[in-house]
Order: sequence, then structure tokens, then C-alpha cells
Amino acid sequence: MRRLETRWGILMALPAILGFVIFTIGPMVASAFFSLTDWTIGASPSFIGLDNYATMVKDELFWKSLSTTAYYTLGAVPLVLIVSFVVALLLNQKVRGLAVWRTIFYLPTLVPAIANVVLWIWIFNPDFGLLNSLLREGGLPGSQWIYGESTAVPSMIIMSTWGFGNTMVIFLAGLQGVPRHLYEAVSIDGGGVWRRFWHVTLPMMTPTIFYNLVVGVVGTFQVFNQAYVMTEGGPNHATLFYVYYLFRKAFTESEMGYASALAWTLFMIIMVVTFLMFRNARRWVYYEMAGAR
Amino acid sequence: MRRRDLLKLGGLAALGATASACGGSGSGSDGKNVQLQFMYWGSTFEKAAVERMLKQYEQKHAGVKVKPLYTPDEYDVKLNTLVASNRLPDAGYVPLAMSYRLGQQGKLVNLFPYLKKYPQLAGYLPDAYLWSGQDNLHGVATANEIELLWFSKSAVAAAGVTPPADAASAWTWDQLVENAYKLTIDQNGKHPDESGFDPKQIKQFGISSSITYGAAWYGFLRSNGVDFADESGKKCLLDTPEAIQVFQNLQDLVYKHRVAPGPGQLAATGDDAPGTNILLKTKRVAMVVDGHWSLLDMNESKVDYGIGVLPKYKEPFTASQVAGASAVFAGTKHEQEAVELFAFHNDPRYVDLFAKGLWMPQEKKYYEDQASIDSWTKNDLHPAEFRTAVVDYARDHGVPTFGNRVKNMSTISSDVLAPALQEIETGKRPAAEILKEVTPKITSMLQGWQHTQEL
Repeated sequence: MRRLETRWGILMALPAILGFVIFTIGPMVASAFFSLTDWTIGASPSFIGLDNYATMVKDELFWKSLSTTAYYTLGAVPLVLIVSFVVALLLNQKVRGLAVWRTIFYLPTLVPAIANVVLWIWIFNPDFGLLNSLLREGGLPGSQWIYGESTAVPSMIIMSTWGFGNTMVIFLAGLQGVPRHLYEAVSIDGGGVWRRFWHVTLPMMTPTIFYNLVVGVVGTFQVFNQAYVMTEGGPNHATLFYVYYLFRKAFTESEMGYASALAWTLFMIIMVVTFLMFRNARRWVYYEMAGAR
Repeated sequence: MRRRDLLKLGGLAALGATASACGGSGSGSDGKNVQLQFMYWGSTFEKAAVERMLKQYEQKHAGVKVKPLYTPDEYDVKLNTLVASNRLPDAGYVPLAMSYRLGQQGKLVNLFPYLKKYPQLAGYLPDAYLWSGQDNLHGVATANEIELLWFSKSAVAAAGVTPPADAASAWTWDQLVENAYKLTIDQNGKHPDESGFDPKQIKQFGISSSITYGAAWYGFLRSNGVDFADESGKKCLLDTPEAIQVFQNLQDLVYKHRVAPGPGQLAATGDDAPGTNILLKTKRVAMVVDGHWSLLDMNESKVDYGIGVLPKYKEPFTASQVAGASAVFAGTKHEQEAVELFAFHNDPRYVDLFAKGLWMPQEKKYYEDQASIDSWTKNDLHPAEFRTAVVDYARDHGVPTFGNRVKNMSTISSDVLAPALQEIETGKRPAAEILKEVTPKITSMLQGWQHTQEL
């Protein structure tokens, strides 16, 4: 009986397992192999050991794309965390029409990524875009936004806050899980709003903040759409994000071997960064049930 | 059907294939059921036009069906994916730089042996042929195309400006700038040289000429007596005073004279600015430097346009052969039919894309022989000035664009040249500074000119 159950269990899980093996593990193993080869699409791959990785160290654009991506991550992740946390706090209040507000703030997340980017192309247009029109109305100087070398990445960081809905929902769920009795205890001790936030909300929310931080960092390291649709990595490589550079090497310049090496390097970087975040998390993330584990 | 019948049929089909392969000229496909795929890009108007061409081919070649694979975006990405997965179409367009790579890799059929069989293929303009090695003709530039000065007739008439339609009377650069001033108008009707002109509220720009698109400025470069690289193709010449002058002049159009739009000023998406037809129709820009292929879209969208020749420095020149490549993909099961489709797809005798204005012919006779010239230009879709501004101009002043002839160009372009040109476009630093920085880098990547040979 038990054996039959196991067989059925495996059979039912098979589509998922096969999907994972064929579409995730398989390509990963293949790309790991290709990263050790000199493979231009159309020719056959030749084994070159770690040469691709050695080339990378000397490749100016590799470093440029890495620093551009890091710059974006350092700007976008904290900004999205702060904005979505603040909005989640507001939406956690008992106000009229709460459901409507929550829907409104979540709505942009439902806009398809490319449509979103196209919308922002218009918002950023230096000539007749929404932002410069508003600035002009206010008598302020406009900006070149994504068309200026120094303003392109900051513009994209601003744009990243647009899709904070998912992060916000997770914060909201976390906020709902903060035990009421802790707030009551602070109130009895004479603590006001600020103390309630500082001594209860924030510590109780650190696991949620940590989760959103990790997911945010991993996600922004893979930023692509903006460079692909809005700027094509320009002007003058200002928005040459890592994955966009990888994509270009792979599919425009056909250097699949080198692109595979780039992909694995990014994988390693993300692994190391995530590991460091987990190490560091012990110092500031508070688990209520930590003692019970 | 029983198995024996099936085998019989199979045997007959194989016999038929052998017979037709030995059959020589003609469709070679009678009584057969041949399915070909033709992959291409282009505007929606071009899509319709190519589909018409394919229908015609089917009508003239009984038993052959062609499936159009219209791929308007990311053509190189999709074609690369097909190459990697070994699922290439039979014939179609290939981005020019990529065509050399595929040719060298043996992914494109060598057309050299076919030149004898299809005489019109042997009569092309010399620059149309694409060689990836001695006697390895991997394709031809799909159509001849040159860069022109398009203008809105009513805009230039209102300003009393007449762009010249023959190379002999081409404007000098100073004349271009002078006239662009007259054609640039802000929301209050003021020109850039008038006090109170508001450069942030420009209603109509005088001119638009791309700094980042090589073919747009290559004619100016050659006209000023310099090339992209020296004779060996291994030393970049963009830091010469002549080249610097060209790029500084282009940058000045935007930031000094304020007669041309800067990046982001035309519309939505950088390089994907609205087509020249829309810019002229809406009079957002009065004159635009763009390729001959715009003629199709101009006519389709009923623009009141005129055609002029580009301004010159010394000798007047325009970049030619700026279209992509056409080729037959190796591994096609029907090489004979695919080559026939290739020979057909840009033959002005059968294809209306020339009369409709999308393409200029590759065969020499269409520029030299009066009857042949008339066959594609004597119609309502080609304006009166077409003969001097396009046919004669292409024949006597066209120089094949560097982008198609420099080895390793796509990497040079995406890694080094394009970013430098974008920087010139943003106007933060003078052209000389940028070009002097980038030229040694380009030189270090240059691997010479692509192979060429006489027929």
C-alpha cells in the first residue's frame, strides 16, 4: 500500500520534476559547460578552460556593467523598501475605503513590464514628458532623465518604486501579524505612536524586511527590461546593466561561451551577496520564536 | 493506404526530386509540393509588399509555397536563436554584419556557382556582392539604398527654401545650417537667431540627421575627404581633423544652432523615433536625412514630401548599399527553389517593391539604360526630381557604407563606437575630445576590410 502511494506520489510530482530538470537544471549544466568553451553561435564549441573568466577580468564593459548594476541595486532596493514600508504602514490604519486604497497602490504591479516601461519613456521625455512638464509648471529646470548620462540610472531608480505593490503586500501581511498585546503593553507603559513603532513594529517586522531585502537585491541584480526597451544600454553605456550586457554578448554578438561565463559569474555574485546578507542578518533580524527553534 | 503504396509514392517523389534537380532552369518544381520559408523584417508597409512578392513567386512557380516569417524586431536575436537550434529558414534577410559570420561558418549557400545560371545575379552593382572569402559569395545586399535629404514641401515653401535635387548644386554645410535656421520655429514663431527664441518649445525643427546611425553621416565623412578606416582597414581615422569637423558640425546643429532635435526630443524611444514620414507629415521636422526606403512609407501615408541630395563638404557623396543582406540558408531541403526565390525576390521584373518605392535595384542596367530606369521610376510614386536626386546621385556619388565592409563591426559598434556617438549626441563634450579617446580603441579592434573580388 505504502509503495503504491509512493509510486503515485512520484508520478504526480513528475511533471514538476521533469520541468525543473529539463528547463532549469539542464540549461544550467549546459551553460556551465559552455562557459568553459569558446562558442560562437553557428560554430562548434571548443574547450578553453577558464579563459572566458580570465577575459572578463580585463573586460572594461564587464566592470562597467557590474558597477552600473550595483549602483542601481544600492539605489533601488532601499528606496523600494522604504516607500513600500511607509505605504504599508498607512494602509494598515483603519481608514475609510481601505480596500480601494490598497487596490490603487497595488494596481501598477499588474501592468505588464514592457507596457510599464513604455509608459515611463513618455513620463521621462525631456521635450513633452510628464515630469518635465510638471517641473516647468513649477518654474523649475527640467532634466534629460534617461537621455542624460548622469541622470539615466537615477531615473530608473525612481521608476523602480512604481512597482512596489508586491513588496508592500508582504509588508502589509507582516504588519497584520504583529501581536496586538505588545502594542497594548507599550500603551500601558505610557508609550506613544513613535515608541510603539520603534519598540514593537520595527523589531517584529525585521524578518519581513529581511525577506524583502533579499528578494529585492536578487531581483535588481537581474534588471534588464529598462535597458532593453528604454535606452539600449546608453547613453554611452550609462545603463549597461549586467544582464543586458550578457544578453547582447549572447544574442547580438553571438558569443555564447563568454555570455555563459558572464551568467555564472552573476550567479556566484548573487550567491555571495545573499550569503553575506544572511550572515549579517543574525545581528538585526529578530525572530520571536527564535528560542523555540 | 497500404504500406506498399506509400513506399511507391515515396519512390516516385524521390525520382521526381532527382529529375527536377537535374532539370536545369525554370521552376524545377512542377508537380511537386515544396514548402519554403522566407524570413524578413520591415515596416508594416514593407510586410505587405514582401507578402505580395511572395504571392507572385508562388504564382510563377507552381507547386512551391512560401511561408513568410515576418520578424520586425530583434531580428538578429531571433535569427541567432534559429542558428543555434539549427532550424534556419530557406531564404531571407540577414543583418549584414551577421551575414559575414554565417557565410564563413558555412551557414549560407555559396551563390558563386549560381551566377552563371541566373544572369541577372551577375549584373549587379559591384558593391552589392557580399563575399566571406575567395569565391564564397554568401549573399547580396538586399536592395540598393542611399541616404537622402527628405523634406516637407509645404514647410520649405513657407520658408522660401529649396533643397537642391541634383548633386552638382548640393548645398554646402554652411548653406544647410543657414536654411535650417529659416526652417526652425518655436511656439511663438521665432527662429533660433531671433531674440526671445525659446529652444525648449520648438514647434518645427529645421533638420534631423542622426549622429548614431553610421550611414547617415558616412556620406559627409567621405565628402570631407576621409574614411572610417585607412586602406588596410586596421587604423581608424575618426580622430582626423576632417572627421572631427563632420561630427562637431552635427553636434552643433543641436546645441549651438538649435535647429535639430537632441536625444529624446523627437519622441518616445531614442532610436525608435517616429518614422521620417510621420516627422514630415506633422511638420515636427522640416528636413530629415534618411534612407531611400522611406519612399514607400511616404507614399503610403500620403506625405507632401520632396527629395533632395545631401549637403556636401568637397565632393558630394552619399552612403549606399545600406540595406541588409539577402541570402539562402545552408541546409535547406530545396536549395534549387530557395536560390530561385532569392533571385526572384529582388528582381525588378517581377517585384513591385521597386516601383512602390521600398527598394532601388541592384542591377547596373537600372541606372544606365533609359528603358530600364523608366521601368521602375516612371510612375506616380516617384516624384519628378527622383531621376537626378536618386538615380543619378546613387550611380555617380554613392559610396558603400563602411558598416558593411569593416570586419568585426558589430562588436566595435556596440562596445565602442555607438557609446561614443551617443556621447557626442548628448552634447556634454566636444566631438574632438570624444573621438580622440575612442579612435585608438577602435583601431585596436579593427581586423581589416571584408573580402571583395571582381566578377
